[in-house]
Amino acid sequence: MELVFSLLQQLSVYLVIAYLLSKTLLFMPLITVSGQLSQRIACYVVFSLFCILGTYFGLSIDNAIANTRAIGAVLGGLLGGPLVGFAVGLTGGLHRYSMGGFTDLACAISTTAEGLLGGLVHRYYFRRGLVDKIFKPRCAFTVLVVAEIMQMSIILLVAKPFDQALHLVQAIALPMVIANAFGAALFISIIQDRKAIYEKYSAAFSSKALKIAHRSVGILSEGFNQQSTKKIAQIIYEETGVGAVSITDRDKILAFIGIGADHHLPGTMISSDSTRRAINHKELIYADGYEIKYQCSLHDKCKLGAVLVIPLVGGEGQVLGTIKLYEAKQKLFSSLNRSLGEGLGKLLSNQILTGRYIEQQTLLLQAELRLLQAQVNPHFLFNALNTISAVIRKDPNQARDLIQHLSQFFRRNLKNNIERVTIKEELAHITSYLEVELTRFSDRLEIDFSVDQSILNVYVPTFTLQPLVENAIKHGTSTLLENGKISITGALIQRHNNPHVKLQVIDNAGTYLKKEEQSGLGLQIVNKRLQNTFGECFGLQMSCEKGEWTTAEIIFPLVNDPINRKS
Amino acid sequence: MFKAIVIDDELYAREELIELLNETGEVDVIGSCPNAIEGLKKIHALKPDVIFLDIQMPQITGLEMLSMLDPNTMPQVVFVTAFDEYALQAFDDNAIDYLLKPVAAQRLAKTLKRLQVSALPRDYNAVTKPHLELVPCVGYNRIILIKPQNIEMAYSDQSGVNVIGHDTPARDKHLSCSLSLKVLEEKTVLIRCHRQYLINPTAIREIKLLDNSLAEIITSNGSVAPVSRRYLKELKDRFALS
Repeated sequence: MELVFSLLQQLSVYLVIAYLLSKTLLFMPLITVSGQLSQRIACYVVFSLFCILGTYFGLSIDNAIANTRAIGAVLGGLLGGPLVGFAVGLTGGLHRYSMGGFTDLACAISTTAEGLLGGLVHRYYFRRGLVDKIFKPRCAFTVLVVAEIMQMSIILLVAKPFDQALHLVQAIALPMVIANAFGAALFISIIQDRKAIYEKYSAAFSSKALKIAHRSVGILSEGFNQQSTKKIAQIIYEETGVGAVSITDRDKILAFIGIGADHHLPGTMISSDSTRRAINHKELIYADGYEIKYQCSLHDKCKLGAVLVIPLVGGEGQVLGTIKLYEAKQKLFSSLNRSLGEGLGKLLSNQILTGRYIEQQTLLLQAELRLLQAQVNPHFLFNALNTISAVIRKDPNQARDLIQHLSQFFRRNLKNNIERVTIKEELAHITSYLEVELTRFSDRLEIDFSVDQSILNVYVPTFTLQPLVENAIKHGTSTLLENGKISITGALIQRHNNPHVKLQVIDNAGTYLKKEEQSGLGLQIVNKRLQNTFGECFGLQMSCEKGEWTTAEIIFPLVNDPINRKS
Repeated sequence: MFKAIVIDDELYAREELIELLNETGEVDVIGSCPNAIEGLKKIHALKPDVIFLDIQMPQITGLEMLSMLDPNTMPQVVFVTAFDEYALQAFDDNAIDYLLKPVAAQRLAKTLKRLQVSALPRDYNAVTKPHLELVPCVGYNRIILIKPQNIEMAYSDQSGVNVIGHDTPARDKHLSCSLSLKVLEEKTVLIRCHRQYLINPTAIREIKLLDNSLAEIITSNGSVAPVSRRYLKELKDRFALS
C-alpha cells in the first residue's frame, strides 16, 4: 500500500511536468489526430521523453523498478499510431535495458509491447472513424490496465529466476496498475482540455470573423471613402472589442472610432511611422507597447498603448490603405484579435476590390448607354432637316408631321435613366425614327412590320430594337442603289417547352461582316445589355447571306425573364 | 448660265437643291441622278460646267467618284454634304468648296459667285484616293462593280471605253465603262500597250511578236490586245526582255 502512495506521489510530479508542457507549442500537434508526419514526430519526441521520465521517477524495489513508464509508451501509441507506439516503446525499453537489473530484458520487451498495444487501439478506432474515443480518459485507463497485466505476465515469463520475479510481481503489480492507469487517464484529460480550449478559441474566432464579414457585406461597394469606412470601423469596433479602430487610405485617416477619437480625426494626414511603414513595405506592423514601444504620434497623453497595422492590398499588389486596431495602455492585445486583424485585412481588401469592380461595371454600362444615345448620328439629323426643308415647299403638313416625329425621336433619346421599356414603346420609338428615314429614302426603302399583339407589353432593355433598325439602314439598305427592304418581326415561340419572345430585324442588303468594326459598337452594346438582363445565352445573334440578307435576331425567355417578373 | 448636274442619293435632297439653284437664275440644271455610277455616265454625256456632289452615296461615294473623273475634262465640283467631319477638314485645308445641308440660299449664292470669278481648283488629289478600289461598269441591264485586279484589259472604241473582266460571265464579258483609259491607267494596275488598249500585266499569257516591231498580247482568257511600236519597248523593259 505504501508503494501505491509513493508511486502516486511520483506520478504527481510527472503530471505537473506534462501540464506545463501542454502550455507550449510542442503540445499543439498532439491535440489532433491528423496522421501528418509532423504530428507523428511530435508524438514520438514528447512521449519518448515521458517514457524515460517514467523510468527515472520509478522506485527501486528488489533490484527492479516500479515505474510509470507505460504511460508514455501507451499514449504514444494511442495518439501516434502503431509505428510511433512501437518506436516510443522501443526507445523507452532500450533506455530501461541500459539501467540493468534482473528484469531489464523483460521490461524492454514489455515497454515495446505496450507501445504497440496503444498503437493497435489507435488503429482500431481510427479505422472506424471513432477518433474522439482516443481522447477519452476512460479509454486510456482501460488500455493501461491491460498493458500492465501484460507487462507483469512478460516479467514472469522472461525474468529469471522465476521465484524472484514472482515475488516482485506480487509486490508491484497492484500499485503499478493503479498508478499507471490513473496517470494515463489524467494525462489524456490534460490533452483533452487543451483541445477544448483550442476549439473554443477557433470557434470564437470563426464566429467573430463570420459576423464581421456578414455585417460588412456590400458596404464597401459604395466605394472606399469616409462614409463606408466609418461603417466598417464601427462594425469591427463592436465585434472585436478593441480599444479603437482606424481605417486609412494611402494618405489620410478615413475613419477612427474608439479611445482617442478626440484627436485622431478622419480627414487628417497619416502621421504615424508604423502606418507609413506598413503602406510602403506592404507589411503587417505590430507594436505591443512592451517589446516594441508604441506612442501616439498626435498627442502625448493619448491613452492608446498598442497598435496593429494591417495593410490593405488591392489588385496588382498595390496597397490601398491600412486598417489599424488599437488597445489602451495597460491592456493586453488579445491574440484572438491579432489573428482576426490579419484576416480582416484580407476580407476588406477583397471587399474594396469587389466594390471597385461593381462601380466600374455600372459606370461602364452607363457610359455605354450614353454613347449609344449619342450615336444618334449628326448625319441622320442634318439629312432629316434637309429633307424637311425640301418637304416644306411641297407639303407643309407633311413637314409638320416629320418635325413631330423627329422631336419624338430625340425626346426619347434624351430620357437617359430608363432601364427598360415595353416592346410597344420601343416600336413607337422606331416608328418615329423610320418615318423620317422613309421620307429620306422615299424612292428606295420599304418597311414591313409584323409584330404579335401578345408581346407588345413585354419589357426589353431600352435601345434594343432601334439600333438594329438604324444599323440595317445605315450599313444595309442605304448601300443599295435601289429597292431596300427591312422587315421587323416579333412573335411568341416555344423553345424547350417554354414561351420565348423572338424579335428580328431583317434587311435585304446582306452587308454585315463580323469583323466590321464600325457597325460593331452599337450592336455590341445591344448584345451586352441583353445578356446582362436575360443571361449569357440570350444575346444578339447576327447572321448574313452576302448580298442577300442580314438578320439581327433576339430571343429571350418570357417567363423567367427577370425584368418582366418585376413588373 | 452654268450647266449643272446634281448628284445625290436622296430624292428630296436633289429636289431641294435643284429648286434652290433654279431660284438663283444663274444655273441651268441639265440633269440629276441618285448615284455615282449614273453620275459618271451623265457627266460624260452632258458635259456640265459644274456638278453638285453628295459625299455619302451607295456603292461609290462622291469622293471615290471624283477619283474616277479625268482631270482634263472634269467639270467644276461643289460638294454637298450633311455631315462629314474628316472630309470637311480636308476641304478646308485644300480650299475646296462645299455646301452644308440644309443648304442656305446665301451660302449658295457665294459659291456661285466664286464659280464665276475664278475657276475652282481642279486638283483633288488631297481628298481623293490614288488607287481605285472598284471600277463601275454597265453590263446587260445591270451595273457591275469590278475590282481593278479582276480586269484583264480595257479598250476604247466608238462606243466609249470597254472592259473585259477576268471571271465575269460570258454575257458580261465586254462591259462598258464610264471611266477614261487615262484614269484607269493612272489609278489602277492596268498598263498601256496601245493608244486604245490597257492590259493587266498579271493576265498576260503570251506576247506574240509580229513584223514591223508590232506585237499582240494574248491573255489567260484568250482575249487579244494589239501592242503598238511605242509601247512594245516599255513592255519589254518591264519584263526585262530585250
